[in-house]
Amino acid sequence: MTTPFLQIRGLRKTYDQVVAIDQVSLDIKQGEFMTFLGPSGSGKSTTLYIVAGFQEPTEGQVLLNGKSLLDVAPNKRNIGMVFQRYTLFPHLTVGENVAFPLRVRRRPESEVKAKVAKMLELVHLAEYRDRLPGQLSGGQQQRVAIARALAYDPPLLLMDEPLSALDKKLREEIQFELRRIHQETGVTILYVTHDQEEALRLSDRIAVFSQGRIEQVGTGEELYEHPSSRFVAGFIGNSNFLPVKVEQMGGGRARAIFPNGQAVEGDARAFAAGSEGTLMVRPEKMRIRPHAASARGLAVTVRDMTYLGDSMHFAVQTPWEQELAVRMAVGDGQGLCIGSSAVLEWDAQHGHVFA
Amino acid sequence: MLLDYDRLGGWRWGLVAIGSAVMLFLLLPIVFIAALSFGDSQWLVFPPPGWTTQWYQQLLTDPVWVNALLTSAKVAVMVTLLSVVLGLLAALGLARSRFFGKSALQAFFLTPMVLPVVVLAVALYAFFLKLGLTGTLTGFVIGHLIIALPFSIITIGNSLQSFDSALEDAAMICGAGPLEVKWRVTLPAIRLGLFAAAIFSFLISWDEVVLSIFMASPTLQTLPVLIWSTLRQDLTPVIASASTLLVAFTVLLMLLASFLKKGSRQ
Amino acid sequence: MPTALSSVAVPARRRFRLSAETRGIKLMLPVLLLLVLCFLVPVITLLLRSVMEPTPGWQNYAELLGSQTYVRVFFNTFMVAGVVTLITLLVGFPTAWLLAILPQRWSRLMFAVLLLSMWTNLLARTYAWMVLLQQTGLINRVLMALGVIDQPLALVNNLVGVTIGMTYIMLPFLVLPLHATLRAIDPSTLRAAAVCGASRWQSLRLVLLPLALPGIASGALMVFVMSLGYYVTPALLGGTSYMMLAELIAQLVQSLLNWGLAGAAAFVLLVVTLGLYAVQLRYLGAGRSEMGGR
Repeated sequence: MTTPFLQIRGLRKTYDQVVAIDQVSLDIKQGEFMTFLGPSGSGKSTTLYIVAGFQEPTEGQVLLNGKSLLDVAPNKRNIGMVFQRYTLFPHLTVGENVAFPLRVRRRPESEVKAKVAKMLELVHLAEYRDRLPGQLSGGQQQRVAIARALAYDPPLLLMDEPLSALDKKLREEIQFELRRIHQETGVTILYVTHDQEEALRLSDRIAVFSQGRIEQVGTGEELYEHPSSRFVAGFIGNSNFLPVKVEQMGGGRARAIFPNGQAVEGDARAFAAGSEGTLMVRPEKMRIRPHAASARGLAVTVRDMTYLGDSMHFAVQTPWEQELAVRMAVGDGQGLCIGSSAVLEWDAQHGHVFA
Repeated sequence: MLLDYDRLGGWRWGLVAIGSAVMLFLLLPIVFIAALSFGDSQWLVFPPPGWTTQWYQQLLTDPVWVNALLTSAKVAVMVTLLSVVLGLLAALGLARSRFFGKSALQAFFLTPMVLPVVVLAVALYAFFLKLGLTGTLTGFVIGHLIIALPFSIITIGNSLQSFDSALEDAAMICGAGPLEVKWRVTLPAIRLGLFAAAIFSFLISWDEVVLSIFMASPTLQTLPVLIWSTLRQDLTPVIASASTLLVAFTVLLMLLASFLKKGSRQ
Repeated sequence: MPTALSSVAVPARRRFRLSAETRGIKLMLPVLLLLVLCFLVPVITLLLRSVMEPTPGWQNYAELLGSQTYVRVFFNTFMVAGVVTLITLLVGFPTAWLLAILPQRWSRLMFAVLLLSMWTNLLARTYAWMVLLQQTGLINRVLMALGVIDQPLALVNNLVGVTIGMTYIMLPFLVLPLHATLRAIDPSTLRAAAVCGASRWQSLRLVLLPLALPGIASGALMVFVMSLGYYVTPALLGGTSYMMLAELIAQLVQSLLNWGLAGAAAFVLLVVTLGLYAVQLRYLGAGRSEMGGR
């Protein structure tokens, strides 16, 4: 069995009485783009800071190539890091900033020069070498920070919400750059964000954090199509949550009933029969049919319709007066209008039952 | 509309009149002594009957004045160095620590600034009498240092506050050791604060009168002490020339400070 | 093989960075040592002498508060400080107001004058006033030439001279912080007052003054406290017959060698000064500026 590149083993961190993270374990492959996704305070940054060496775990271990990182001082870990704020040294030019890690490593001047040129080339900022950071835009500064973090060829690059201070357009631009840099350099990246769209766009795999624990790890598609908990389903993508009572379990599927007594099926983990649960269905997996067309499905009333160009958005009301969101292709909503009664349908495999 | 200069109407002229009068009031003594120092009237008649530089010649050839000037400079330079170094250490300590009673300690560091100087002067005088430090350079330096330090701590502390300590983390992860981080990142980033603290400290020492009067001996005195003791006897124009030199020097340092400030905005 | 490592407990000791707390304290040690040794100890010793010399007891305080001479000194001190504060406020408020609204070109010039005056050597300024205010000085001669007076006024060696000199010194200390307070007020609140129908006087009384009040109060308090402890200017412009508290303390030590009484006077000055600063901190927030009296 081969040793994973980076192993995070049973990390726990407490401040006084507060538990920041608990039982965080994760294996990361070489060259992987791994994102820690979660709301603020969910422990994703704490985990990253422990890997960086700015914080120490109360319990647990971090291994790089099978060797513990915890006994190594942060400045000896040889890890690259990009911070939330632009942490460029304001008194040094762009080129000197990128050269900084090489200078503290006492690399020969010729190598420093060549490497700086190469790194600035990588982030497309070669002509800014002699500017001071204050003269650059936020996006450019963050690209310099990436160049600096990669200048000494660290095997691992940590990024702590590096794009959160940028506006949407710049953010997308740099996300694109990041993918390219990741492909060109093959560096392993640990990336922290609270933005699910960013996580989906960038990552090979995503670890969803909630309340100090990892809820689920998987590719974006796995998390979206097969969320393992209500939290993951709610955090990634839009979802409708309907209250149900589970009647029967079997073969990874649950039979449940809605508050109006209607029966429904969905994917489920182990469940005790008779317990309360939630059925999750994505808005785009639902279809609304005029009342007459079908007898099956949930009877609803159309409350609102919005034309969004590439799709139609509907708000419908269930018999127990819950409002649900439905998204359909523009042509598929023929014959519906506000106030009309209709039937809501979805394929059984798109329903997920959670506790 | 009271805070819109252009729409203040008639009130504007009232304010301008008071403001101009205050400015004249503030400038009058400074311009006046500068003029007197070049006037040839021993009795300080104004406007002077003729112009001369004899008071400056007298000042710069009298060994007593020259010695006092050198003592002032020596003390001020030593105070500046110590005040910046110790102030930096204390400001770093205050900025980077959290413990019970920290704000009390901070307040203690700043009390020499709010205490009437005469109380400190008398207290130190008694203390130094016992230690035999009155009339010594050490005595002057310690005394001046105590009142210069709060300014250093505040000035450097302010620049540390606007310094993002994440920069230190960034430098560390780039491979720099703890001392290298301070030397290559922290100090350069707060250098303007250090310069400002140095200028403040120098001026405080250079201008200090009350403490110096108590620290001085007939053989060792600073320029302000000599001006003080001369003033108590008569108002000779030599003092005007000494004062003018002090003013000129202050203006020079102020220009330097504003120049540094401008440089930082680029 | 790595399974054995999966639950290795890391003891919560700190390996790379000294704990932030202890590291900070170490850095502060030199200053702490210096201030305790050469500031706290001497000051406390001085204060203790007030109840120890010449014999243990409160006789120094009794003498200080019982003798007409000394009560007169207290009266002079508080009166001068009060009058200086009042004049500084009356002149300083319009000046700060003008400074806050003037176009930048002119406000820069005003700033330069204020800073120049503040940083000019105290003795140089006091010397200038001694010369300007003397019997044959410029002020008296101009006033006589204008026919305002027949006889030269006695402007030095009394409290008038002290008041003029002190006002001169204190003006920048009031104008600069007050200007910052006024600058922080949003001009649109006053436009709003005008739109609501307030006359200028009403705007001033009901909007501007209340908004500027914290700045006015803390500035005035600071000027008052600084004036209480001033030594150089009162000593030179006031002469010997109009003594103030700081001068008394110096005299007691230098000429009379009465350390007990000096300690008592210092204690009174200290209590009033620190007490008023505590009031300022508690109710008005810290105003940062040069505060020590010279």
